Amino acid sequence: MKNIVIGRYVPGKGFLYDLDPRTKLIALLVLMAATFIIDELIHMAAAILLIGVILVIGRISVKRVYLGLRPLLFLLIFTFAFQILFNTQGDLLFETPLYYSPITLGLVVVIVLIWGFTKRFIKFKLLYFLATVFLSLFVLNTFTEPLVFATGTFSIYEDALEMALFIMLRLIIIVTLSTILTITTKPTDLNLGLESVLKPLKVIRVNTEEIAMIISIALRYIPTLLDEANKIMLAQASRGVDFQEGKLKEKVMQIVSLLVPMFIISFKRSDELANAMEARSFIPGHPRTRLHLLTWKTLDTVVLVVSLTLLISSISIRVFL
Amino acid sequence: MKPIIEIKDVSFAYSKQQDVLKNVNLTIQKGEWITILGHNGSGKSTLSKLLIGLLKAKTGTIHVDGIELNEDSVYDIRKKIGIVFQNPDNQFVGVTVRDDIAFGLENLQIPREEMIERIDKFSKKVDMFEYLNKEPQQLSGGQKQRVAIAGILAMKTDVIIFDESTSMLDPKGRKKILEYMKQLNDEGTTIITITHDMKEAVSSDRVVVLKHGEILKVDTSTNILRDKTTLEQSNLELLLPLELLHYMDSNNVDHQSLKDFLWASSLNV
Ligand SMILES: Nc1ncnc2c1ncn2[C@@H]1O[C@H](COP(=O)(O)OP(=O)(O)O)[C@@H](O)[C@H]1O
Ligand SMILES: [Mg+2]
Repeated sequence: MKNIVIGRYVPGKGFLYDLDPRTKLIALLVLMAATFIIDELIHMAAAILLIGVILVIGRISVKRVYLGLRPLLFLLIFTFAFQILFNTQGDLLFETPLYYSPITLGLVVVIVLIWGFTKRFIKFKLLYFLATVFLSLFVLNTFTEPLVFATGTFSIYEDALEMALFIMLRLIIIVTLSTILTITTKPTDLNLGLESVLKPLKVIRVNTEEIAMIISIALRYIPTLLDEANKIMLAQASRGVDFQEGKLKEKVMQIVSLLVPMFIISFKRSDELANAMEARSFIPGHPRTRLHLLTWKTLDTVVLVVSLTLLISSISIRVFL
Repeated sequence: MKPIIEIKDVSFAYSKQQDVLKNVNLTIQKGEWITILGHNGSGKSTLSKLLIGLLKAKTGTIHVDGIELNEDSVYDIRKKIGIVFQNPDNQFVGVTVRDDIAFGLENLQIPREEMIERIDKFSKKVDMFEYLNKEPQQLSGGQKQRVAIAGILAMKTDVIIFDESTSMLDPKGRKKILEYMKQLNDEGTTIITITHDMKEAVSSDRVVVLKHGEILKVDTSTNILRDKTTLEQSNLELLLPLELLHYMDSNNVDHQSLKDFLWASSLNV
C-alpha cells in the first residue's frame, strides 16, 4: 500500500523547486504533447536525453522516478508482448521454428507449473516471468523427432519492435515528467497552479475554484484513505480474507470486502468534513482571500519558452520533413 | 453579565417520528464555561449544529449575541461560534497545518498579511508553531485537535464549542486540550464542552444534563456530581469513586475521610 504514495512531494532544493507551479504544469502538458508528436527514434532518444539532463540538473533521485515507473512495468511488458505476438507489419527481423511434441509440450507444462509454485518466493517476479517465457520458447525450439506432430514459427517483425519501443518510451517519459512535477511541487502549490491554469475554463462557466477545492481535499485525504484501506484489509485478513492469492471470483469478493466499508466510512467522513468546513464559514462559490501567492520569475519565462520551442520544433519536423 | 446564547423552546427532529430535541431552554452568559453532559444519542451534537445553523430548529428561537439566528444571519453567527469536532481527521481541511489554520481566515476574507500574523500567533498559542509545515499524517490526534483549536482561535470567535473533542485522544492529548480550554476561558472566551465523560464537566461553571433530547437539570458541576437521582436518571456511566460515594451516602456509611478521598478523586481530572 505504501508504494501508492510514490510521487509525493519531497522537500529539496534546485531549479525545479524554484519554478512556479503554473510553469511546471504547462511545461508538462507541452512536453507530453511533444512526445506524442515525434515519431523518429533519434528524436525520441533526444527526448530521453533531455529528461536525463533535467533529472541531473534538478538533482532528482533516479530511484524515486524508478519507483514511480515500477507499477507500469507490467503494462510495459504486456504491450511489448502484445506487439511482438500480433504485429506482423514491416520487415521480418527474426524467425525460428517451434516444434510441438509430447516431450516439448510436457516440458513446457512442467516449467509453467514450477513457475506457478515458486513465483511467490522470487523477488523479481517480472524477470522471472520473462525467463519462464523464454525458457519455454527455447524448449519448443528443440527438435525432437519423431514425436513432433505439429510445427509453428516464432517471428519478430520490425514494426512490432518499433511500436513497442515507442509506446514504452512515451509512457516512461510521461510518467517521469509527472513524477518530477509532483515530487518537486508542494500539494498546496500544485493546487494553486492548477486553479490558475484552469482559469480560462471560466469562460465556459466552469467553477474552477470549486474544482481546485475538490482536488485539494482529494490530495489531503488520499493518505488518510489509504491508511484506512490498510486497516480494513488487516481487519478482513484477520477474518480470513486473503488479499494476496486467489482465483478471479475470490479476488472480486476481496475487493468488495474492501470497497463496501470504504464507501460507508467515506460517506460519513465527507458528511463530517462538510459540516466542519461550513462551521468555519466556508460558503461554496463565495470569494475567499488566499494565504499563498504565486510569483512569476524570469526562470519561468525561460522554461516556458524552451518547452514551447521544443513543441513547435517537433510539430515542424513532423509536418515539413 | 450579558447572555451570549439564548435558546428558547427549541425542538428538532431528523424525521417525523421522533423529536431528537424537545423544548430546550438554555441561556449561556458571556465568558461562561458550560458543559453539556449526556449519554450517547441524547442530542448534544444536534444541539451544537443548531447553534451554528447547520441544522434548522423545528420550533423555537436561538439568539447569539442578541442576533436571532435565521437564514440571513446564519453566516454572521458562524463568525461568532467555532466548533472543534470529535474526529480529528474529519475536520482537517488543509494540506498542511498552516493551510488548515488559514482555511477559515480565507473564508472570512482576511487580508494576507493579517492571516500570516494570526497563523503565527495562534499556532504558538497551542504549541504548534514548529509544526506549521507538517501534514496531518505526520501529527498525532491531539496535535490535530490543537490545530483545529488554532484554526478557530484565529477566526476570533466569541464562543468555542468542543463537541467530544477529546474522546478520540489518549490521556495525554486529552489533558492538554483541557488545559487549553481552561486557559481560553480565563482569557474570556465562552466555552461549551460537550461530553459524556463526567470528568470533563468538573472545571466548568455550570453543567447541563441532557437526556433523550430533554434538559434534565442545570446546576454547578459539584452539585450535579453530588446529585444521585439526576445522575441515575441520566443514563450516564458513573466513575467508580463517585458510585462508591453515592453508595456510602445512601446507605449511611459513615467514614468521612474515605468520603473526602472519594470526592477528591472524582474531581481530579
Ligand atoms: N443525520 C442524522 N439523521 C438521522 N438521525 C440522526 C442524525 N444524526 C443524529 N441522529 C439521531 O439523533 C439522536 C441524537 O444524536 P446526536 O445529537 O448525535 O447525539 P449525541 O451527540 O448526544 O451522541 C440520535 O438518536 C441519533 O441517532
Ligand atoms: Mg455527538
